[in-house]
Amino acid sequence: MKQVLKLRNLKVIFPTNYGIIRAVESVDLDIHERECVALVGESGCGKSVTSQSVMRLIDSPPAITRVDTLEFDGRDIKDYTPKQMQEIRGKEMGMIFQDALTSLNPVMTCGKQIDEMYIRHQGLSKEEAREHTVKALELVGLPEPRKRANSFPHELSGGMRQRVLLAMAFACLPKLLIADEPTTALDVTIQAQVLSMLRNMQRGCGTALLLVTHDLSVVSAIADTVYVMYAGKIVEKAPVRELFSTPHHPYTVGLMSAVPRLSDTERVFTQIPGTVPHPTQKPSGCYFHPRCQYATAECKKEMPPLKTIDSNREVRCHHPLSIRGVSHA
Amino acid sequence: MKKKLPIHHGMARGIEKRLKNTGLFIKRIWSHKQGKIGLTMVGFLVVVAIFAPYIAPFNPYDVAERTTKGLPPSSKHLLGTTINTGQDIFSMLVYGTRVSLIVGVTSGICIAIVGSILGVAAGYIGGLVDSLVMRIVDIMLVIPTLPLVIVLTNVLGRDYWTIILIFVALGWTGLARTIRSLVLVLKNSNYVKAAELAGASRWHIMIRHILPGTSHLLIMSTALSSAGIMVAEAGLSFLGLGDPTAISWGKMLAEAQRGGALLFGAWWWILTPGIGIFLAVFSFMRLGIVMEEIMNPRMQRSSGVYKVFKNLNSAYVEEVFNSMDDYAKIGVTPAFEHGKGEVTHETGLKA
Amino acid sequence: MHKDVKNRTPILSMRNVSVNFPVKGGLPFIKKGVIQAVSDVSLTIKRGETFGIVGESGCGKTTLGNAMIGMVRPTSGEVIFNGKNLYALSREEFKTTRRAMQMIFQDPFSSLNPRFNVYQIISEPMFIRGEDDDETMKERVVELLELVGLSADDLYRYPSDFSGGQRQRLGIARSIILNPSFLVCDEPVSALDVSIHAQILNLLNTIQQQMKLTYVFISHNLAVVKNMCDSMAVMYLGKIMESGSSERIFKNPLHPYTQALLSVVLDTVVEKERELVVLKGDIPSPINPPSGCRFWQRCPQAMQGCKTIPPESIEIEEDHFVACHLVNGFPDVELPSNYDQLVAEKPTRTHSMH
Repeated sequence: MKQVLKLRNLKVIFPTNYGIIRAVESVDLDIHERECVALVGESGCGKSVTSQSVMRLIDSPPAITRVDTLEFDGRDIKDYTPKQMQEIRGKEMGMIFQDALTSLNPVMTCGKQIDEMYIRHQGLSKEEAREHTVKALELVGLPEPRKRANSFPHELSGGMRQRVLLAMAFACLPKLLIADEPTTALDVTIQAQVLSMLRNMQRGCGTALLLVTHDLSVVSAIADTVYVMYAGKIVEKAPVRELFSTPHHPYTVGLMSAVPRLSDTERVFTQIPGTVPHPTQKPSGCYFHPRCQYATAECKKEMPPLKTIDSNREVRCHHPLSIRGVSHA
Repeated sequence: MKKKLPIHHGMARGIEKRLKNTGLFIKRIWSHKQGKIGLTMVGFLVVVAIFAPYIAPFNPYDVAERTTKGLPPSSKHLLGTTINTGQDIFSMLVYGTRVSLIVGVTSGICIAIVGSILGVAAGYIGGLVDSLVMRIVDIMLVIPTLPLVIVLTNVLGRDYWTIILIFVALGWTGLARTIRSLVLVLKNSNYVKAAELAGASRWHIMIRHILPGTSHLLIMSTALSSAGIMVAEAGLSFLGLGDPTAISWGKMLAEAQRGGALLFGAWWWILTPGIGIFLAVFSFMRLGIVMEEIMNPRMQRSSGVYKVFKNLNSAYVEEVFNSMDDYAKIGVTPAFEHGKGEVTHETGLKA
Repeated sequence: MHKDVKNRTPILSMRNVSVNFPVKGGLPFIKKGVIQAVSDVSLTIKRGETFGIVGESGCGKTTLGNAMIGMVRPTSGEVIFNGKNLYALSREEFKTTRRAMQMIFQDPFSSLNPRFNVYQIISEPMFIRGEDDDETMKERVVELLELVGLSADDLYRYPSDFSGGQRQRLGIARSIILNPSFLVCDEPVSALDVSIHAQILNLLNTIQQQMKLTYVFISHNLAVVKNMCDSMAVMYLGKIMESGSSERIFKNPLHPYTQALLSVVLDTVVEKERELVVLKGDIPSPINPPSGCRFWQRCPQAMQGCKTIPPESIEIEEDHFVACHLVNGFPDVELPSNYDQLVAEKPTRTHSMH
């Protein structure tokens, strides 16, 4: 299958008065056509910085970025000028962020904003663009699309706005869509709608999806491959079902156990002790070792490399686990 | 339960922290590009105002020290003397600082006090109090200020304390409105709700939660309104409505005009008070604007970052980047001990 | 696991409580409409249990929580706390009674005054209630800090020095300093990272056991509610759709809305592709709620009569109440004169047995 995104060795730091923030430490990503890749981690783990770096949206002050390979659809975009990037963004690389209200222009109607995508990237006339817009809004499930096209963003509810963003993002049939916490601010049933919409559109248009989130239930709903990040590093990569049935990294295990589930029977929730390390003061050796119940002296001394297991799984751990299911005993 | 002022609680520590905060605040103003200018100038003016008798070579109030009228600038009279009374203009400039600063700052502070009390009351208590205060604000905005000032000075007398009173009475409205908007937002904070839930009286909440929340706005407004008042005072004095006994820059301008400075080409007499007014207003405004920028959180971040970038040690940065690589990538194979790994695969970790 | 609360005495009950807020129009004194935040809600909370209220935005759960502790006066209906009608008490009695009730807020960042230090924040309720002595307050605050997993060193620190989870602990400490007996937790973990949820929830459970508290736990996350709560109520647009023992409800969710909420929750076994129950449409505004059953517009199993006849809450099995025509069958009501015509219009079921 064709590879839409190839990222190798991304490193991003933010120098500050308090020290150097090591936001992203040597991250590799592979995304193929029609694939949905999820980048999972808690806040501060570097996943948003990673996704923005893919779009080259991280500015050089305040950050310093290094990357070995950044190939999009076979083209090396590592050294693209801002103008070249602008050509790609919106047209071939789409994005949706968490807060639709700030992503949409509040003084333009939604329809006009989507029209612009067609006019600018596909060279359509205003009337043609409007026809496409109405069809796109219909596709994302907005009731009365022609009427809604003339509404302003603040007149619509959160779920509707997110759908407008979806319509805008898919307007030009991008090869890659980057969604950063697209459903976090939404109500649970609306989340279900948006997720299912996302999945359908993605499969239908053949778009690859990079989903950045901290919510494992979102991941299990629509992801194909999952990368788990902790303190700037990828600690595990696996296809979604295998990740949930046999997680290898203690952090992944902890993350999944910490999420209360319907099948829990005990009232005591499993907790991961300690807290996420401060981005300027990371522990020696493996970043997770202070919180890991399986840590050994080796873990304290050396950072484990990312090793490949079973051809499509990777783990960064000196003593990866293989537990059949996640027990809550 | 006896009623008491909700102040003492944890106060010693509170004061300590407040002083530390003030110190930090001043430091932050100083490190701002224009903060240095504002702070120095205001400081300078304050020093001049306090030590006026020592700085000014002559005492313009002392009739005995008046000399030849209409002298141009010389080494004895740095800015010459006035045409009508023979006072040393430089000394008048120095003494004028006192009037401007006292009137300006006192009014600014009093406006802050009145405006905040009424603004907080209107915003937090709402209802009748709110309607009443806002109606008064609306009425006062409609009344033309200058005629009112003229009438009031005629009725109440023309010494500076009356003038200050008038300024405060007319000037509190704008601040009250701004504070009220802020209070409406603060009112809905969860910590206010938590206090209400614990049974706090309205008084308690207003003094301990709401008022401190407006403090940054008050400080900034004090600086800015002081600037505005200084201009207004100069204008009043120019029109002859100010205190006839005091030496103020506005009055200097009026006298310069009446005394025929232009006619006689005594530019030093006209320019001096003008520059004085300009400097005072400029410095207070600068200070106020800098304070506003500092308190606006978005402004803080950008200035710090560029400084850090300038001073970056590139060798250290390289080291940081290199430390992020996995050993395998730079060709060094790690020495693994056969640990608890139960995974069997080709890479060598044995069960 | 779940406590058996059937035979305990009730600590709070609500009878036909409705809370309406007027929507002000442009001109004063002219109402544009009414927000029906809570409509005709009746429930009973037993002493020592954890009662969950589940729902999405606009369902009225926060308003309900506020009405329970005296923060919002109901437009109609009664709130009975410890046998007394809360809103009918004199001012003095009201103040005294409310001392036993407290709340934990959702957002750990806005629920603590950033200008106060930890000591001031936590001791404030004591201070408000008349405590004078610095030493007494300090002792108590340190006691509570240790209870919630922080330390005496944090006494004079400021909220900005703490993480979200730690701030929530501070909020918890503040809410229990007066030894309340009734605590409303309004989405206490929703704003926190997932891995911190467990810590806070465990803390809440520990405190409940130690201090014999009754909790009302408001959340939109059913997985959390399942394990925290003994009884629960599922709300939608101001009305209770399903309520009762949470064990029963989770074993046998009957209301279509409850079923939809459940399908979105993470489960361990990911063997086949998860079937999300996707409801159509958006959550309607509580200003003009739909007629009949408030959920009919989005209900995948709506029937003709659901549009006009509001369902009653019927006890389907012991301690399990459902308000749904699909489950309960239509009540015997006087049929409208054009009933036959309505039936003829759409070929759907008009009557069904569960």
